[in-house]
Amino acid sequence: MIAWLFRFQSLFGLVLVFLAAVIFSPVRNGELLFLDSANLFNVVRAMSEIGILAVGMTFVILVGGIDLSVGSVLGLASVGAAVLLVRQDFGVLPAVLVVLAAGLVFGLLQGVVTAKLGIQAFIVTLAGMQIARALARIWSGGQGVEIAYGDAPGRAPMAFSLLGERTFGGLVPIPALIFAVVAGLAAILLRVTAFSRHVYAIGGNEKAARLSGVPVNRVKILVFGLCGLLAALAGIVHAGQLNYGGPNDGSMAELDAIAAVVIGGASLSGGRGTVVGTVAGALLVGVLRNILTLNNVDSNIQLLIIGLVIVAAAGLQRLRPAAVG
Amino acid sequence: MPKRARGAFSLLLGVTLVATVASACGTTSENAGGPAEPKPCGGAGGKYTIGVSQANVAEPYRERMDADIRKAAAGVPQFTVNFADAQQDNSKQVEQVENFLTQQIDLLIISPNEATPLTSVVKKAYERGVPVLVLDRKVNGDSFTSFIGADNFDIGRRAGEFVAQTLLPGGGKVAELKGLAGSSPAKERSDGFKLGIGGKNIEIVASADGDWLRDRGRQQADALLKGTPGIQVVYAHNDPMGEGAYLAAQDAGLTGIKIVGIDGLPIEAGGIKAVEAGRLAATFVYPTGGKEAVEAARKILVDCQQVPKVQGLAIERVTPDNAAEVYARLNAGG
Repeated sequence: MIAWLFRFQSLFGLVLVFLAAVIFSPVRNGELLFLDSANLFNVVRAMSEIGILAVGMTFVILVGGIDLSVGSVLGLASVGAAVLLVRQDFGVLPAVLVVLAAGLVFGLLQGVVTAKLGIQAFIVTLAGMQIARALARIWSGGQGVEIAYGDAPGRAPMAFSLLGERTFGGLVPIPALIFAVVAGLAAILLRVTAFSRHVYAIGGNEKAARLSGVPVNRVKILVFGLCGLLAALAGIVHAGQLNYGGPNDGSMAELDAIAAVVIGGASLSGGRGTVVGTVAGALLVGVLRNILTLNNVDSNIQLLIIGLVIVAAAGLQRLRPAAVG
Repeated sequence: MPKRARGAFSLLLGVTLVATVASACGTTSENAGGPAEPKPCGGAGGKYTIGVSQANVAEPYRERMDADIRKAAAGVPQFTVNFADAQQDNSKQVEQVENFLTQQIDLLIISPNEATPLTSVVKKAYERGVPVLVLDRKVNGDSFTSFIGADNFDIGRRAGEFVAQTLLPGGGKVAELKGLAGSSPAKERSDGFKLGIGGKNIEIVASADGDWLRDRGRQQADALLKGTPGIQVVYAHNDPMGEGAYLAAQDAGLTGIKIVGIDGLPIEAGGIKAVEAGRLAATFVYPTGGKEAVEAARKILVDCQQVPKVQGLAIERVTPDNAAEVYARLNAGG
C-alpha cells in the first residue's frame, strides 16, 4: 500500500487537488464554476501542449538525461508549420510530416552528440535550445506568422483549422485528444516493450546496462529523437490552436514540462518514473493554476504555490522506501 | 499489486476523461456562436467585475499600466478588478481570458501579448456580450468594443524626426537598439524611425536586439559602440535599453553620444527622470491607456453609453526643457 502511494503520488495529488478545486470553486447561479464543462475543457486544453512535451521529457529523464530544448523546438515547429502552410503552400499532411521529421532529426542529433561524444545532455540541449530559437527567428523572418484559412494561395487548407479547432464536433478539445493518444502510446511503449526495459536499465545503472548488453547509445539517441518529435508535435498543436507561428513562443515551456515530470514522481537521476505519473503531474499543475485563478489569487502567489508543490513532490520521493521500483 | 494498481489508475483516468467528454455535450449550443447580444446595462446601482488580462508584468511599462488601471478603478465604487499575468505566453493568455469568461466577468480589458493568437478568444468574449477594451496592442478584425492605445509606428517616426531635426541636422550616424525580435512594437518602432529620418542624410550604421531589457541593451550597445566607430546617436526602442546604452557609452568614455528612448514612464526609474538627469537626450511618452480604459469601462457599465471604436492616445515628446513639467502632470490627480 505504501509502495502504491509513492509510486503514484501524483495521481493521489491530482485527486486531492481536484477535490480541493471542487470544494473551493466559486459558485455562480448555483453552479460550481470549476466543474463547468467549458472550464474543464480550458484546463485540459491549456495543459495539453505542456503534457505532450512532458511525455517526451519523461523518456529522457528516465535514461538520466534532460532536454532543455523542447520549448524552443515547440516555437520552431509552430513557425515551421505556419511558414510551410501559408508561405510555401504545402498541404496539411506534407507540412505536418516535414515539421515532425525536423523535430525528430533535431532530437536525434542531440542524442548523437550526447551519447557518442559523451557530452552532458544538459549542455547539449542548452545549446539546442538556443539553436532552435535562432532557427525559428530566421525561418520566420523575425516575425510571427499568421495562419489564415482558405483555398487561395497564401492561405492554409481548411483541414488544418479542423486540427486546431478547439473542440472536435463540439465534444473533445483536439489537443486533449492528441495528448491522450500520445500518453496512451507512450505508456504502452514503456510497459510492454524491450525498449522500455532498456530505458529503465540505463537510468538505473548505465554501466551495468552496458555490460549486460543493452545498446545504450542507440536507446539514448532514440529517446532524444522521440522527445524532439513530440516537441514538434506540440508545436503543430500550438500553431493550430492559435492560428499563429510564434518565433518566441514556448520559451520556459521546457521548465513546465520538467516540473510536470518531477511532480509525476520521476527521479532526475533516472530509472524511476511513469507516463501515468507525468500525465497526472501535468494535470495537477493545470487544475491548481485554474482554481487559483478562478479565486483571483495573485499570479505571483500562484508561482510561489506551484514552486512549493514541486519541492513537496521531490521531497516525497526522498522519503520513498528504497525497495519500491 | 503494482500491476493491479496501474489498472485501477488507468480506469480512473479513463473515467475522468469520459466524464469530461460527457459533460461537454451540454455545451454544444454554446459553441454554436451567434451574434453579439450585449447584456442590458446595469447602471449606477450595479456591481461590476472587470478582468484585466496583461501580457506580462515583468516590464515596468506594463506594471505601470496595471497600476494606472488599479488607481483609476479605485475611484469607481461599483468596480472590482481582477488581474491576470500571461508572462509573455500567448497560450497562457488565451487560458486566462477563458478563465475570466468562466468567472462571468462584466467587462474585459486586455493588452494582448501578440495580435493573432489572441484574436479568437477576444472575439469569443465579445460575441458573448462581454464588452472588450483592447489596450496598447491590437487584435485582428473588429470583434472588440474599443481599442485604446498610441501608435508605435508613429512614435518611431516622431523619434526619427527628432533625431533628424534636433540632434543631427547636418546628417550623421545612428545605432539602433531594437526590442525583442519578432514582436510587433519592435518592428513598428523601427519602421517608423526609418521614415522619420528618411532623406536627411542619416545612416543607421549598426543595430542589435536588446530584447527590451536594460542589461541586454548595455551589452549590445557596448559591442555596437566598440565595433562601429563614429556613432553619434543611439536610438533605443525603449528607455531601459537606452539607459543600458548610456552605461555602455560611459564605459567606453564616449560622452558626446546622444541617446533617444521611448515609453517615458512617469516613475522614479522611468525615462522622464532619465531625461531630466541628462542620461537621455529625449524620450517619447507612450501612454499606458490604463486611466482611459477605466473611464471607457465606466461609460459602458455605469453610464450606459457608447464609446468610440478607436481611441488614439497622444504621443508626447520629452526633452530636458519640459521633463519636470510632464512628470508632474502625469502623476497629478487620478
